[in-house]
Amino acid sequence: MQVLLQTLIGGVTFGAVYALVAMGFSIVYRTMGLVNFAHGSVVMIGAYAASTFYLATRLPFAVAIVVAIAVTALIGLVIERFLRPLENKDFTLMLIGTIGFGAVLEAGAVLVWGATGHAVPSPVATGPIDVAGIRIPTYSLLVIAVAAAATGLLALFLQRTKRGAAMQAVAMDHQAATACGIHVGRSNAMAFAIGAGLAALAGSLIGPMLYVNPTMGGTLGIKGFAAAMLGGFGSMPGAIVGGLAFGLLDAFAAGNFQEYSELVTFLVFAVIVMIRPTGIFGEATVNRA
Amino acid sequence: MRFTRSTIAAAALLALAACAPPGQQAGSGATATGPIKIANVNAQSGQLSSLGQWEHKGVKLAIDEANKAGGVHGRQIQLDLFDSQGDPTVGTNVARKIAAEGYVAMLGTAESAVTLAMAPILKDAKIPNITSGQSPKLAELKSPFLFLNAPTSVTFDETLAKYLVDDKGMKKIALISNNGAYGAGEHDAFLNSLKTRNVTPAADEVVTPDQKDFNANLAKIREQDPEVLFIGAEEVQSGLIAKQARELGIKAVFAGGAPVGTDVYATTAGVKNAEGTIVSSPYLSNEATPEIKEFAAKYKAAYNEEARMHVAKAYDGASILVEALKQTRGEGGQKLADAIRGVKRAGLLGTYTYDANGVGIHETKIGLVKDGKVVPEAAS
Repeated sequence: MQVLLQTLIGGVTFGAVYALVAMGFSIVYRTMGLVNFAHGSVVMIGAYAASTFYLATRLPFAVAIVVAIAVTALIGLVIERFLRPLENKDFTLMLIGTIGFGAVLEAGAVLVWGATGHAVPSPVATGPIDVAGIRIPTYSLLVIAVAAAATGLLALFLQRTKRGAAMQAVAMDHQAATACGIHVGRSNAMAFAIGAGLAALAGSLIGPMLYVNPTMGGTLGIKGFAAAMLGGFGSMPGAIVGGLAFGLLDAFAAGNFQEYSELVTFLVFAVIVMIRPTGIFGEATVNRA
Repeated sequence: MRFTRSTIAAAALLALAACAPPGQQAGSGATATGPIKIANVNAQSGQLSSLGQWEHKGVKLAIDEANKAGGVHGRQIQLDLFDSQGDPTVGTNVARKIAAEGYVAMLGTAESAVTLAMAPILKDAKIPNITSGQSPKLAELKSPFLFLNAPTSVTFDETLAKYLVDDKGMKKIALISNNGAYGAGEHDAFLNSLKTRNVTPAADEVVTPDQKDFNANLAKIREQDPEVLFIGAEEVQSGLIAKQARELGIKAVFAGGAPVGTDVYATTAGVKNAEGTIVSSPYLSNEATPEIKEFAAKYKAAYNEEARMHVAKAYDGASILVEALKQTRGEGGQKLADAIRGVKRAGLLGTYTYDANGVGIHETKIGLVKDGKVVPEAAS
């Protein structure tokens, strides 16, 4: 029982981060129909930006996160601006463009920060909470809380604001949206910036849990992408459920299948996607690819 | 996909080499004039590039010193860097390139998997290779052209098991290791050393090299309440395991090979969590001996960063090669391999005496992590 609950804690913590990464993938996809393969690298840049700022200034970690979000949102805007001429013309080139940007960001990180990477001390000094033998690290609680808050804010933005509604409209039918006077390019740029901001949030949060180095985006990107697929690509609730599900799947596979855990995780993932290709919350509305 | 300056430089060098007349190329290995061509193959890009860059700096320091001191009987050593990307497939391509372009010897790589892939090609081409890999599989190849500049996992873990079980009487030992080339080697070697002492591990958890969340594995280990937790994984993963183990309230002392003696491990785990970790390594710290102190100062002056074991062993390996080259007067092939086997050197990692399997160092030392740094364990 203790093992089970402890596994759950680990799974939910990492699941929350996967959910943030998955949301970043999804928001770009639902608006542009594009999978942003640079997303994992943006997570890495976010982790670097936040940790470097935090280590250098010793200002509260929250400030560092805001700085990281600003930096990566800017990168998101740059990526979108570069890809804009291809929008609705050559989709494959756009995909390859995002892969290229990912490589550029990784190489850039090596140039700026070196290949070695650095560890980030936990911003929360208090020890783990002990509940009947189950240890819950305080930082995990913070990660889950911040992820939940970010999710709530994003949902409010998409449903309650004019700009959010415009983005939803572009997601459903970009031609009709244009006819209504919505600037599709601006909407896309916004999606990229929000996606990158979410990546930065995920990166900043996971930095103190892991080790920040130029290649850390690879695994996070793949797992976040898989989480988005599992939940239903393009769906926001799907990204959250998918992220948590993937975190838990990963955690329980590690406990039960040892060295075969990764194999089992992705096998289960493949079977679920085969049975339900649209994912758990797959929507028919988002299908521009 | 990624082009570092060094790959571009390597590519440019290759292009230049390709332009040279064929006669000059084929003869360069055997001619008694002109520079002696040595290849340094290491990951300069990709996940393992930090390791590769340290190795290259250590090698370069030794070769630069040798060249400054007059080279090999007046001939300079030309050190060319090739990027293996830490990938065995890329490694085999590089091995063929080296063989075709008349390099007399190769230094590197830092990854056992890459070296294992390159070894058969280098053996056929009779190119001696001093590697920084430490997988027991390298010694099992019994290639007369493959030499290790560090002990294998067997030595690391035998020393560790002897200290833990024989000296300290600790019998309740749990294992956690990854199933990558390094982790699997550590797991098997340590388990073997325990077996010969009739100790059955309290837990034996295997994780994947990419795994980040160890709550499930560690919760199982916690139920056994072991005295010692043996960690068989690379630096960062070892650090993450140590951190999460302490968060879970595991009180066992951590033990492992060279990775747990690094600052990467200590900072990833958190200095407080790493405190007291038992390290088995031939190179405990930059202050261990006067020779090492001098080397560390030299290294810092050259690169403005702290020396570490990876640098030291690469430096040792390159120095051994230079010594052997002096004996053969720059000649390669079987003669050079024999000369390397004959070198007896008091290096930074210990005294090198090569056996038939190409292993030069046969013992490690025990150290303890204090305030994030390794101090030698006082003989008790």
